[in-house]
Formats: sequence, C-alpha cells, structure tokens
Amino acid sequence: MSIMQKAGSVQFRDVVKKYGSVTALKPLNLDIQQGELVTLLGPSGCGKTTTLRLIAGLEAATEGTIYIGGKDVTHLTATYRNVSMVFQSYALFPHMSVVDNVSYGLRVNKVPAKEAKAKAEEGLAMVGLAGYGERLPSELSGGQQQRVAVARAVVLEPEVLLLDEPLSNLDAKLRRHVREEIREIQQKLGLTAVYVTHDQEEAMAVSDRIIVMNKAEIAQSGTPRELYNQPNSAFIADFIGDANVVDCEIVGFGEGTVSLNVGGATVVLPYSGPTCQHGKLAIRPEGISVSQSATNGIAAGVSYAAYLGNQIQYSLNTGMGKLFAIDHNLSATVVPTGTEAFIHLKEEGLAFLPEA
Amino acid sequence: MKNALLGGLAAVGLLAALPATASAEELNMVCGAEQDWCELMARGFEEETGNEVLMVRKSTGETLAQVRAEASNPKIDVWWGGTGDPHLIAAFEGLTQDPGVDTSELLGWASNMHKISNGGTVGIYAGALGIAYNSEVLEERGLPAPACWKDLTNPAYAGEIQVANPNSSGTAYTELATFVQLFGEDEAYRLLTEIGKNVNQYTKSGSAPSKAAARGETTISIGFMHDMVKLAGSGFPLKIVAPCEGTGYEVGAVSVIKGAKHPELAKQFVEYALRPDVQSRSVEVKSFQVPSNSKASVAPESPDLASIKLIDYDFATYGERSTRERLLKRWNEEVKNASH
Amino acid sequence: MRKTIALWLAAGIVGFCIFPWYSVDSGFWSFSWLFSEFLSEDAAPALFQALLYGRWWFVPLALAFVGIALSFAVLKDERTRAKALVILSITGIVLLFAQGFAIGRTGPELFNDALNFGSAASGQIGFGAGAMLTAGALLFILTTSISGLGQGRGDAFIVGSIGLIIALVVTFVFYPVSQILIRAFEASDGSFDITAFFTRFFSSDIWSLACLAGGKTCGPAWNSVFLAVLTGAGTTLLGLAFALIATKTAFPAKKLLRVLTIIPIITPPFVIGLALILMFGRAGVVTDVLHEMFDISKSRWLYGFSGIYLAQLLSFTPIAFLVLIGVVEGVSPSMEEASQTLNATQWQTFKNVTWPLMRPGLANAFLLGFIESIADFGNPLVLGGNYNVLSTEIYFAIVGAVADPSRAAVLAVVLLMLTLSAFIAQRLWLGKKSYATVTGKADSGQHSPLNPALKWACYGFALPWAAFTAVVYSMIVFGSFVKLWGYDNTFTLDHYIRAFSVSFNNGIRWTGVAWDSYFTTLTISTMAAPLTAVVGLLTAYLLVRQKFAGKNMFEFSTMLSFAIPGTVIGVAYIMAFNTPPIELTGTSIILIIVFVFRNMPVGVRGGIAAMSQLDKSLDEASITLGANSFTTVRKVILPLMGPAILAALAYSFVRAITSVSAVIFLVSARHNMATSFIVGRVEHGEYGIAIAYSSVLIITMLVAILLLQVVIGQRKLRRQNRLQTSNKNKELASA
Repeated sequence: MSIMQKAGSVQFRDVVKKYGSVTALKPLNLDIQQGELVTLLGPSGCGKTTTLRLIAGLEAATEGTIYIGGKDVTHLTATYRNVSMVFQSYALFPHMSVVDNVSYGLRVNKVPAKEAKAKAEEGLAMVGLAGYGERLPSELSGGQQQRVAVARAVVLEPEVLLLDEPLSNLDAKLRRHVREEIREIQQKLGLTAVYVTHDQEEAMAVSDRIIVMNKAEIAQSGTPRELYNQPNSAFIADFIGDANVVDCEIVGFGEGTVSLNVGGATVVLPYSGPTCQHGKLAIRPEGISVSQSATNGIAAGVSYAAYLGNQIQYSLNTGMGKLFAIDHNLSATVVPTGTEAFIHLKEEGLAFLPEA
Repeated sequence: MKNALLGGLAAVGLLAALPATASAEELNMVCGAEQDWCELMARGFEEETGNEVLMVRKSTGETLAQVRAEASNPKIDVWWGGTGDPHLIAAFEGLTQDPGVDTSELLGWASNMHKISNGGTVGIYAGALGIAYNSEVLEERGLPAPACWKDLTNPAYAGEIQVANPNSSGTAYTELATFVQLFGEDEAYRLLTEIGKNVNQYTKSGSAPSKAAARGETTISIGFMHDMVKLAGSGFPLKIVAPCEGTGYEVGAVSVIKGAKHPELAKQFVEYALRPDVQSRSVEVKSFQVPSNSKASVAPESPDLASIKLIDYDFATYGERSTRERLLKRWNEEVKNASH
Repeated sequence: MRKTIALWLAAGIVGFCIFPWYSVDSGFWSFSWLFSEFLSEDAAPALFQALLYGRWWFVPLALAFVGIALSFAVLKDERTRAKALVILSITGIVLLFAQGFAIGRTGPELFNDALNFGSAASGQIGFGAGAMLTAGALLFILTTSISGLGQGRGDAFIVGSIGLIIALVVTFVFYPVSQILIRAFEASDGSFDITAFFTRFFSSDIWSLACLAGGKTCGPAWNSVFLAVLTGAGTTLLGLAFALIATKTAFPAKKLLRVLTIIPIITPPFVIGLALILMFGRAGVVTDVLHEMFDISKSRWLYGFSGIYLAQLLSFTPIAFLVLIGVVEGVSPSMEEASQTLNATQWQTFKNVTWPLMRPGLANAFLLGFIESIADFGNPLVLGGNYNVLSTEIYFAIVGAVADPSRAAVLAVVLLMLTLSAFIAQRLWLGKKSYATVTGKADSGQHSPLNPALKWACYGFALPWAAFTAVVYSMIVFGSFVKLWGYDNTFTLDHYIRAFSVSFNNGIRWTGVAWDSYFTTLTISTMAAPLTAVVGLLTAYLLVRQKFAGKNMFEFSTMLSFAIPGTVIGVAYIMAFNTPPIELTGTSIILIIVFVFRNMPVGVRGGIAAMSQLDKSLDEASITLGANSFTTVRKVILPLMGPAILAALAYSFVRAITSVSAVIFLVSARHNMATSFIVGRVEHGEYGIAIAYSSVLIITMLVAILLLQVVIGQRKLRRQNRLQTSNKNKELASA
C-alpha cells in the first residue's frame, strides 16, 4: 500500500494556445522523459505557466496534441488526467483538516476511506509531518503548508507532478531546504516532474534539465551545465548566470571551432553550429582574469574593485565596453580602483552567440 | 458524471411533476368584495348545492387584467362582487357571457345593467357616492362641515380633501362621471379644478381616501357611502354627507366568464347570488350596500337610497371606452395639474 | 461521455414511450397513468398518441430519436458522433416545441391551413411529464455532445449546467417577458408600430423634468432613479455599518442587532408603510406628541418621497447587510495585518486595504438596493402620495380604470433600461481587478478592530436606526393586539383567534380563516427556496469560474427577472403559461417557478460576491487531484460558501413568503398565498387581522432562518474565532 511511482512521459506536438487574439504559446514541441525533473524557466509572461496548465489540463490547447505516458490527452480535462499539481498559493482547502486535504484526491477517486487515510498518513510522514493530520491548514507554518501541498499531490501517484512556483511564498533559507526535499522525494519515487520558476538558481539546483522560455516559445533547453556553458543567445547567456555580451568579429570557421577577433585579441572557441556572418561573444565574469603585472592582453581601466571575502569583483572599462569580472583566486592581489590593467579571456568562460 | 446526471434528472423531475388542472365539479370563483362577504357567499353556495367553490379574493382591476390575459383559456367561471365598471368593460370586450337568469325581481338599475351589457353582467348591489369628514379633525381645525359638492371648493379646505385618481380608481371615475351628469361637462371640470386646489393627494385606490379620513390623515374624503358607514361603525369619528345636489352611484355586479369550464354551475351561482334571502345576509358581514333584489331586506345602517337624491346614472354612455378616454384625458389636462 | 449520453437517451425514450405526454388530471404522482389509463387518450405517451390516436405530429420527433439512437450505436469516431448528436438533438428540441406551439388547445395555431388535417383539428393540451422528460433528455444529449466537441473544456457538467440554466431562463424569463414587452410596440389599433413606441418612450409623461424648473413633479422615470440611487446608497451604508459592527467590534448586543436587521426583510408588504403612517402620519402618535410638546404643526410630509425613502431604507437595509456581512467576514485578516505591519494606522488600513477589498460587495449591495427600490411596489403604493414612480404607474396601467398594457410595456422597458444602466455602471466601477482574498494559503490572522472614530461613526449611524426599527416593530406587534389600531387601543386576541383558531372536536380542525393560505405559503416557499439557491449559486459558479462565449449576456439575462416589476412578471406569466404547450396557471408549480426565477438574481449576486473571494487555485487543486467539477463544487466550493448559501436560502424563502406584486395575478383558489390574503384585508381596512397574520409570518420566518443557521452554520476557516477582543464573539456572531 506504499506510495508507488507510475511516472509517465510528456510530449507536446505543435501545441498552440491563444486567448482570443493573444498568442500565449507559439507552436511548441516538448519531450519530457519518464522520471525526469524538468524546469520551465523564464521571465514572467514567457508562457511557462501556460505550458504547465496545458499539461495539467486546466487550459485546453488551441491547436496541437499533448501526450502523457504516450496517450493522447489533448481533449481530456484535468479531472481525467493522471497529473497532480502543487500551487504557488498551496491551495489547501481551508475547511478540511490536513489529513483530509491529503486524502482528498484519493477519496474523490473512490479509494476506500480507510486506505485513503492510511496512504495520506504515509504521505505526511514522507514530508516529515506525521502527527499533524488533524490540524487545520491555518495552524501550520508556511513551510509545513507547502509540504502538505506536496504530500497531497504525491499520494495520488501521478504520472506527472507539476509544481507552479512552489517556493515563492517561503523565505530564502526555507526555500533551499524545501527544494532539496522536493528533489529528494522526486528522486526517491522516480516521479516525472515539471517545475515552474523564474529563479534561475532554484532551477539549476533542482533540475535534470531546464527549458528556458521567452516570448511564448522555447529559447533553449538542456542540462544546467549545457545552458551555462553553451548558451545559444544573448538572452540565455544573460538569464542563466551573469554574462558580459560583447561585439566580436568572425575571423573564420574551422573544424568544430570558430575564431573570433575581440578587443584586438583572437580567440578560438569550440563551435559546431552553422556558419554565420555575425555573432556576439558572451564572457562570464569569472572568465576574465585581471592583472597589473601582465604586459600584454586587452587594456582595461578599473573603475571599481571590491574584495567580498569569497571573491573579488571588478568593473572594467575596455574597448569592448563595460565589463563585469569576478576573480575567485583570493590569494591574488586586488587591482585598485582607478588604475590601468590588462585582462585575459579564459576559453572556458567564453561562448559564441551566432546571429542569423 | 453520474452526479451531474442525477442533478439534471432532479430538475427535470420537478418540471415533470406537473399537477392536474382543476377537476370537474368545482366552481372557480373570483370575488371582488371583502373577504368575509366572499366567504359567506362561497360557503353558503357550497352548503346549499353540495358543490365545491374554489374562491379567491382579488381586486376588480386585478381580476379584469387576469380575465383579459386568460381570455383564450379562462380559468375562472364566475366573477362576483366589486364595482360594476370593470364588469361592464369585460362585458363590452366580450369577455363574459349571458348566464341566462331571470332578472324580473331586480330593481331598475340592476336589470338595466343586465340590459346594456347584453346580459354580460348583472347588478347585485348599489352604493351611492358621498362625502365623509373626520369630525374630530374638522373641529380641531375649526372648519365648517360640507353639505354639498360645491362646498368643497371653499378655499378653507386647502390641503384637507382626499379623493382617488380616476385613472386608477373606478370610484373616482364614478365621481367624475357623476359631476359631468350633474353639472354639465364644462361646469363639472371647473368645479373639479376648484376642488382640486384643495386636494392633498389623488390616491390610487378608491377606498383609500375614506380610510385616511377615518384615521385623520386627511379631513375630508370622497368615496362610496357604504364604505364610510362601515368605517364609522368600527369606531372612527367619521360623519357621512349625502351631497345636496344629488349624487351618482356604483352598481356591484356578477358576471360569468366567457368560455367558463363550468357554465351550468356558474349560472346556478348567479341565480343564488340574486336571491332575496341570500342578498339579505350581507348585513351579517357588515356590508351595507343596497341589494339589487327588490324583495331583499335592507340593513338599517345602509344609506337609504330613497332619501338620497340619486341621479339617473347613464352606465351605457359613461361605461363606454371612448367617453371614458375623453373624460380622463380632459381630467388629466385640467384637473390634475390644478392640484398643488 | 458515452455512458452519459446512453443514460439520457434511455431517459428520453422513457419520456417518449412510457410517461404520459400531456399533463394528466389526476396528477403525475398518482401513477394512475401507468396502470388503468396507460393507453387512454389523456394519459398515453407520445408513441401511443401517434399510433392509437392519430397524432401524426409526433412522428418527426420519433424519427429524431431513432436518428440519435442510430448515430449513437453506429458512429465510432467520437467527434463525428458528437456532431451528429448535436444536430439531431437540436432538431428534436425544435420539433418538440414546434408541435407544441403549432397545435394549440383548439386546433392548429400556426400554419392553420397546412396543418389542419387529421386529429390536429381537435387540438392538444399542455405538456406533461413525458414531454418534459423528453425535452430534458434532448437538452442534455445536446450539451453532452457539445462538450464532446471540446467546448467548455470538454466538461459535461459545465456545459450541461450552462445549457440547463439557459433553457430555464429562456423558458421562464425571456419567453413570458417577451410576451408582454412585445406589447410596447403595439399601436392603439393592435398593429405593430415602431414609431409609436418611440413617441411613447420619450414622452414627457415619463421623463418630465418639471420639478427642477419649479414645477410640481418630475416624470416617474426620474422619480424612480432619484429614489433608487438614494435607496441604494443609503441601504449600502447602513448595511455596511451593521456588517462592520457585527464582525469588527466587540459590540455587546450583536445578536439582537442581527435580529433587528433581519426582521424588515421578513416583513410582509404594506406593514411597514402602515406602521409609519400610524407613527408619522398627520394623525400619527409621534406627530401628536411633537404637536403637543413643541407645537410642530401636523403635516403630511410622510406622503411622498420622504415616506417611501424611509420605508425602503427600513425594508432593504437587511439585504445590503446580508450581502456585506459575507464580504466583510471574507476579507482576509492577513491582508489587514499586512497593512498594519507596514505601519499603516487602523484608519489607513481600512481606507487602503479593507475598503477596496469590499468593493465588489459594496457594488453588489448597491445594485441590489437600486433594483429593489426601482421595482418596489408596496411602499410607493401606501406612502407615495403624489410622488409617482414607475412600478406603481405600471401596476395601474395594467389594473387601473383604463387598462393600457402597451403603456405598461413601455414603462417596463424604461425600467429595464434603468436597471441595465445600473448594471453596466457597476461593471465599470469594479473593472477587472482581482478581489480574491480566501486563497488556499491558510491564514490564521484575526480581524483588526475598527479604528475608534469609524467605530463610533458606525454606532452613531446604525444604532439609532436599529432603535427606530425596533420601535416600528413594536408598533406592529402592538397593533395586532388592539381592537382598532390607532383608535381603540383595548387589548384583544380577536384578530389571532379569527385568523388562527383551531378546533379540537373530532380531531384537529383548522378553523381560522388564515390557515389555508398559511399552509400553502409555507409549502410553496419551502419548495422554492432550495431550488432558488441551487439555480442561483450554480449560475454564480458558472459566471465566476467558467469561461464561455456570451457570458456577459448570460449574466444580464439572469438578472432580468429581478429588474422587472412583479406586476409585469405576473401578467407575463399568465399570458405565457395559460395555454399549451406550457400550461401552468392555477397550479402551485407556477408560483414556485415565479419565485425561483424572480429571486434567483439574489442567489447569483451573493454567490458571485462570495465566490470572487475564493481563490481559483482551490478549484484547480481539486480538479487536478482528480475530482470532477461537480465534486469540486460540492466538496470545496459549497462548504466555503456557507454564508452565501445561507443568505440565498433564507432570502429566497423569505421573498417567497413576502412577495406580493407578482403573486397577485397567479394565486388561485386552490393555491392562495398569505400576502394576497393580507393585502385583501388591508384594502378593506381590516388592519388588525392583517397585522396579526403578518406577525405570525414574521415569527415563522425567524424560526426558519434560525433553523437554517443551525444547519448550515458559519464556515470554519480559522480555528480561533476572529476578533482579538472577545471570545464570546463566535457565539454572538452566529446569531
């Protein structure tokens, strides 16, 4: 009678959502594997919540087909999809006790009352709330309420668990704690989970894979590492971590490489995409090394320097524009504000952003 | 899904529970007099004939509106009581039918009603129009007691007189028509305009002014004398005046609705209602109208029609739609605007 | 989907082949149609009406059913099948009503020449159980199929509910109302004439502004608007003051206060007006005292605007209170606390947080007050003096000495237009902001007490009013125990004995004159109230929670019946439901239906106000947890709507007991209502018995409301009950 995993996959095929004349989602194709935790990340209004609600069945697709567990569910409403959801506001039923909340889904799905209750207790124990069953939601703290919401969704053994900004109502410390718990439960039960957030750190921390959305379509999808190291656009480079995006001149394409001229220096970067005329260069702050002792490199004026204990931060004026740099080598001497220096670009902190 | 189905079924089930329409041996009666008299008539008829009477009391205006709306499929068999005007209108509009009863015992005004309506309605009682004043208030204000219609134009009565609006009240229309018949049309409107300057309110209902006078809400009222008698009898300081110039009267009526489901029973009821012994019983319920059967006994409290100068009220002319509309139009233009 | 359609198809076949098609004399529940009369001409189902009695017009309908059954069985593709079923069920519905309207009681009504053959010439009577079940089955096959096409997010319950409400509103609001409004376009000779309508519509009889230019009186339209705006504003303010006192202060006698604010709503018509006359009329008690003590001259100030306004404030403040109490209680304390922690003072909190959150409630309360006032008929009739308003003008255009239905219709159009304007104005004021305060995020806060100035303002405003109400009501009770109210004040029980005497010879015999109408009234109100609540709250749910085309139109149409004066509705119902196919006059059903559809807007407004405070994610949580929308409504929304349900039930029960204008045309000897009885007594000056009866009704309704309160109670969202200052609060607030 324990909580089992029945995880399924999710596929979108050319799914479009329109509200009247407003397009909330351009034709979208999506593949989420069984047991995977995928984050939908993006600024507000990018379509991530709409995508989540389409999976839930709370919105009907205007065009296209949605598959859950390989089955076409496009025309099924939320009631008939084996998907459950954790809401930003938790949406705990205020008139029901905690255990009634958790067993609600089981009861409406005709699970015998006794079994439902036992399973609900098990769910509560899983989120560390054993013994809280008879309380009203109003008698729990925010973090506890959130865990009740998770338990309520999980006890249904959904094919897909959906989480809509589940941590946004919690304080920062609790947030880290709860997200670890969510990840743990997901892994333990092998759940397929889709997680919506606008916080990139949270996304990086919990996800197997991140789908970044912008302007009603997917901007890029990949593992946290791929997104960070190989952003495909200035938007991604800027949205995932920090990046200085600067102009560069394309010198030529080689075998799996591209050579660029940037600020008078030439860099060769791995690149396997199509050739193009124009592009930009994303420079991670830690991809810049600042040194006064060096005699060559790109000249830069230090307009601001600060020692922060775990890193040294610089603001630099260069021929490429203003750059932001971070030095994690704490033994290095701090280059003082107002002096001139040379900078070097480290290959691992650079990414070429082709422009069509 | 199953629940939705059950919900829907319940809704349909309710509508499906349409009950029967009225069954066969019952007389459907609408009564325009006061409740006690209505009960007396209905129960009396039941006791005598063994038929059931389904009676409901409604004002004559409401009944007329209902009879019109139901014309294609009437639910009422007989309409008893209430001022004769709406009965006549119904008869003129062809909404009633001749019950075919003997009217030879009836007084002139009652059989006349039968005649001009081509049998569509029969008179059952009459009541004269009069003036009433609250003697306490009159004294308190130091006002003279009125004796004639013309006295009401006295400027001393400013704001003290209440009368109904003939647009809504049959009583007031009877008064308007009485004035026209008494004084001639132009003089009538001149007088009414003069009186209008003293009127504090044209009420919607014909019986309201006398009730207001009884309670002292107004000093003087115009209305039917039998209503005034009843109010005075229940203890209010109301004095009743039969105007010296003479006065008009209403005839209460009974009609059988055209297409009635139980015409035979309705006929029986009309015969019953016209019988002298039945008409004599009205005093039991403190109704002081004058009965239409010449052999019926008249209550001692009833205004003695013989001692009142009654005009020869022309129901045929003044009951007619075009006359009515013309008089009311002129009333609206000349009299109504003169009230303060 | 398939199962639902199969069930409805079966229901339809039962309706067509087993249930009696026409209404049966012995009544459906006698079941004699099932046995002895099964194949008789009166009680036979449609199938046998066609086979045995030559009623050929059922054949096309039968074919439609065959079509539905075939497509259901044969077509495998879901969408094709759904499309076919949509088309066939619409055809069936059209055929069903077409035959009903085409062949009347005495033969063909439409296309007389074409249809007049066979048994059509002898006509047919009104729909019965079979026809109703068949119509219902076709309707739900239609809606289920539409949902199968993906409309309404494919939810059969939602589409079915929308379909059901539309069908009911069309049948019981639009159809009868159109019967009378069409008269507005009728020229005096009975022909149709648009110009005549405009001439009458813009006539100075209606719109005169003479009173502004020093004339005597304005047109009834302006009078009505003026009165309604002031009544709406006044009742909303008073209602708010009472609601604030009840929820946010530690006022000691809250229970009493609540009873006092409830009583006017349960007062039969005319009674308040009579009591006011006896107190403030020219010969009234108060007037007398003032005259004796201060030599204030006796005047007739009560008759006219001031009297109506006073009476309407007395009558309608409770409605505003009932709407606002739910809203004030529903404003989430955490929002108030949030404001206070941001260093806002209590006053700033009220002004910037509580007040804006109450806006939808206030707008609803105002709209209700406005509409109630504009449609009110009893108070202007008794106290109007020469102040003419639309509702009384309409009444007298129908029942007056010169009946002019087309004038009544024109006035009704004016009145409707005014209501529509108020409705639109409310929309503009509220805009599109979100007012959800009960979110799924539980909150444990407590209502912040009012700031002292505001508290005393509420006290100063509401308490004298409560005292005044109390005095008015003691006058009424007093009046029922004296011989002749105002003149002969000797104590007597005669009025009660006449109305409610019981004789115990040979078992209990109800000998009092009032018993008949009393029992009828209770039965009908008890049946109407839950139906009203269901229809009203279901509509509110659809309006707040569901998206569908034509929603605004849908919302307005549900408000329509409330905005039309009862008199017009009454006559409209007679005109529409006196003849086949839907023949209801003289039955109790017509009374129940008129109450349900006249009072449903209150359920709708209250439901909307309450539901817009429930966060949508609560429903969505339930739905994603696998509950269907019906279960969601039942288990999540309804329990959170306790106060709104209570208000809807109590209000519709009470309205059914106290309404008079619509009822007066619809009561019959068999089904007479208390108000109709009382009005008859008032007309003849028998105030004693009228008031005695009214007092009994008031007590009956109080008991009923208290029972409801016990059964439904308050919703429990926070364990400790609300106010910091008082623990007794729970007990007090539940009065």
